Amino acid sequence: MTSILETFSNGLGISLVVFLPLVSAVFILFIPKKQEFLIKIATLGSSLVTFGLSLIVAYQFDYDNAHMFQLGNKLTWIESINSNYEIGIDGISLPLLLLSTFISVLAIIYSFEHLPEPVNPKGMMSLILILETGMNGTFVALDLILFFVFFELVLLPMYFMIGIWGDRTVRSVAGFKNQIETRLYASIKFFVFTLFGSAFMLLGFLGLYFRGSKTFSIPELIELGTSGAFTGTFATLVFAVLFLGFAVKVPMWPLHTWLPDAHTAAPTVGSVLLAAILLKLGSYGFVRIALPILPEQAKAWAPAIAILAAIGIIYGSLACLAQTDLKRLIAFSSVGHMGFVMLGISSLTSIGINAAMIGMVAHGIITGLLFFISGSMAHTYHTRDMDRLGGNMKLLPKTGVLLGFTAMASLGLPGLAGFWGEFMALLGAYNPLPGLNITVFRTSMVAGAIGTVLTAGYLLWMLQRVNLGEPKEEWIGQDLHDADNYELAAWIPLVILTVLIGIFPKLIFGSTNDAVISLVTKAFGG
Amino acid sequence: MEAEISINYLAISTELIVIFTIVGTITLDLIFTKKSKYLVALFALVGSLISFIPIIFQWANYSKAMVLFDGSYVIDKFSIILKGLFILVTYLTFLLSINFVESDTYYEGEYYFLLLCSLLGALVVASSRDLLTIFIGIELASGPMFLLSGWRKGDPKSNEGAIKFFLLGVLSASLILYGFSLLYGVTGKIIFSEIVSSLSATGLHQSPVVLLSSILILAGIGFKISVVPFHSWAPDTYEGSPLPVTAYLSISSKATGFVALIILFTKVFYESGTSWGVILVLISGATMFIGNLSALQQTNPIRLLAYSSIAQAGFILAPIAVAGITGNYNDGVYASVTYLVIYAFMNMGAFLVVNILIKASGSENIYEWGGLAKDSPMTGIFSVVFFFSLAGIPPLGGWFAKFVVFRSLLSTGEIFGLSLGIIGAINAVIALVYYARVSKIIWMDDSPAGERVITVPNPLKVVGFISLALTLLAGVFPGIFSSLGEASAIFFSS
Repeated sequence: MTSILETFSNGLGISLVVFLPLVSAVFILFIPKKQEFLIKIATLGSSLVTFGLSLIVAYQFDYDNAHMFQLGNKLTWIESINSNYEIGIDGISLPLLLLSTFISVLAIIYSFEHLPEPVNPKGMMSLILILETGMNGTFVALDLILFFVFFELVLLPMYFMIGIWGDRTVRSVAGFKNQIETRLYASIKFFVFTLFGSAFMLLGFLGLYFRGSKTFSIPELIELGTSGAFTGTFATLVFAVLFLGFAVKVPMWPLHTWLPDAHTAAPTVGSVLLAAILLKLGSYGFVRIALPILPEQAKAWAPAIAILAAIGIIYGSLACLAQTDLKRLIAFSSVGHMGFVMLGISSLTSIGINAAMIGMVAHGIITGLLFFISGSMAHTYHTRDMDRLGGNMKLLPKTGVLLGFTAMASLGLPGLAGFWGEFMALLGAYNPLPGLNITVFRTSMVAGAIGTVLTAGYLLWMLQRVNLGEPKEEWIGQDLHDADNYELAAWIPLVILTVLIGIFPKLIFGSTNDAVISLVTKAFGG
Repeated sequence: MEAEISINYLAISTELIVIFTIVGTITLDLIFTKKSKYLVALFALVGSLISFIPIIFQWANYSKAMVLFDGSYVIDKFSIILKGLFILVTYLTFLLSINFVESDTYYEGEYYFLLLCSLLGALVVASSRDLLTIFIGIELASGPMFLLSGWRKGDPKSNEGAIKFFLLGVLSASLILYGFSLLYGVTGKIIFSEIVSSLSATGLHQSPVVLLSSILILAGIGFKISVVPFHSWAPDTYEGSPLPVTAYLSISSKATGFVALIILFTKVFYESGTSWGVILVLISGATMFIGNLSALQQTNPIRLLAYSSIAQAGFILAPIAVAGITGNYNDGVYASVTYLVIYAFMNMGAFLVVNILIKASGSENIYEWGGLAKDSPMTGIFSVVFFFSLAGIPPLGGWFAKFVVFRSLLSTGEIFGLSLGIIGAINAVIALVYYARVSKIIWMDDSPAGERVITVPNPLKVVGFISLALTLLAGVFPGIFSSLGEASAIFFSS
């Protein structure tokens, strides 16, 4: 038994967490399409086992050494370019890995009964599993090329998820002669934007490789970077392209325009996975790669990132105030929330980066839940237009209560998970790393604080329009279905987590804090 | 000097088997009646498979390069790998052809005979180390293609494409010959190594006449690999040719041209690399842009793939161009050859998908392919794998091809490589739009009314699964290509 656990901690554990979903997806392709139930059960089973394995990994993780990469391994992969299958987790990646395996389970449960046209659970289930491999892999990869492959692996499944199951509303788009279905436009826009970022990111990785003694290993590059190996124009250019790659994914203003389209068009599970995990790949990239490998450049770019983050916060909230589409509102709220995450990161302090970490997890849970609920409501009401909705509390009491709760969590109510990320990000921006331009950061902090007020404003207004009041006439007497068991099974765990993390933020900080402090000390000496 | 000729027949056994198959094919074609003509195809198929056996042995027992005919003909790892590639591509083309050729009033026997002749030419190019042999190889590889591209005799498009191809092909041959004659005139030698030593001894390697010769040869080969501005014949010829021939043209013919280019420019002209390197950089960048931007406009799948393969040629050319400037030939050749190998299989797969879908939909307009993936999920998955691999999306093989190219471009951090790297990155994004469009149409668009039954004949399935396996293998375990690096190192040491 002990020997099994030993090999398990020797890289096997996290390898299984990464590849079990992919292997299951291949198996599912061989199950006949007609046996829908078998397909669903097999997928759920696979994702549950993956989640269980990730819990074992979390159990084996040594929290006293959270700043070190653990439970990993290094195997030869592409010898000719010295790129290896190097994996491992530290306190920063562990919470995100757990979030990813957990949300995947919920997304699969939700998909049991709630797939839009053309239904086809076989296709959707295999795509979710492939996506999960990409997400988990990104969080454990410690080799730039391996990271790149996993980072890109999520593109194809998400492209097809949006394109096949997405919103079929026909609309006219600037630049297109004919009217086009939302899903088709959104899916290719998502793909092109992300690929644009990552194509340049790859050039940046190669730059690091050639200047940094021909290695793609992230730990080795961190050692090189913190000892000042990358300087001058070269480092500035590399940081610029890494920034491009990660900022598109986050997304930071002004590279965010794919996000509202993709979120609005995607089917509910697609939106949830996109908001909860995919956006984190970008911010995780900053923390894992850009900051520690290029610390000097990070310092030089930090004020710019802070300004963009602050603009993102204000812009996101103002855009939310202007929305009539419920899903689009939540999508824009993501721009704002990820703005807080980036503001935290840009402060380059342990408080700020810890804030970013808990902000990422909280945003994953809360916005994931919001997308679940809004997706279900859109399914029930056949509209996402907030002017037509109203009195939801009376029509769908269970959904209404959950929507109210989640909106409160999203606006950063103390005691719930969303609070810590926003509050500490502002704290970090108030007191950034010594040497950074204090005026810029304090201004950004003020902008962020105004943003929290605006966030409260649009969310409360949304609740007023959707949840409260009397139901509109068109809904009275209609047979509207409130949340069913599959939906509740997917949602309740998220509610519990929101409360738990709100009350015990140590659940996250216990893992991230040491790792973040070590990162900041090593890279910025602070 | 005593005229004692000893030939290492084992070293050239691949070529000998192909020659035997060629003779056998044309003889059997005379014997068999129309009814049993499929046996000719079978013979060609088996012959090409058997010719692969010596390749395996030569690879497994490799100790050092075998030099034949006073250095005119060399069998090293480089040529063994490329010969393996040529044979495999020809084999897949045969499989692609079987149903295609049978389905119409084609001359079957001659068809296989001509393809095999072209294969022989390609094999000769890979080993040739003198001006005459390489010229014969290049022309033996492209000559049969003139006939094959006009195989659909009743079709005006086919006639037009074939005539264009023929005229430009003759022009290109004469340009190459002119370039060769200048080299011979200056040095009086035909074997590459002797030309090089003569050039350095006389200090003529940077002289205008040698530069002119390199430019003439470049223009001649430019037609074969269809790079800008010598590309205009390709879309018309591709559209007019029978589909398997088009696949062969865009893979094997192109690869033959590239191999000739690599051998000539890195073995003969390597000392004047800074001059032709700049020209190649410009050609490579322009080829990517023009190929991709034109492909965006296409509605015909074959023209789309034609322009796509023009753009891909820009990527294959880029490392050689930059290697000319930096002198880091080893890295450049490794990148180009790796790209060529991966490109061969994903492009073969893409042609397979187009082949199936044109037949299934009865339309050569991709916008009429809506919803075809529902009728044949297997073809749908093929299309996703091959088209996104061409776009370079991990974990499909194309990403590694693009990656090694970027790696060799950025290896010295010199400005031409850097610029081409950025151009390549931009083009990767442009290309995604039209590659994704094919998948979008067949997976996401609604199907028109009426049942469409898609039957994929077994030979095509074999092509599909072989290409699929190799494309995925290349993407997930790119380590298998490390032998190519070794091969290009040996190529330069010999």
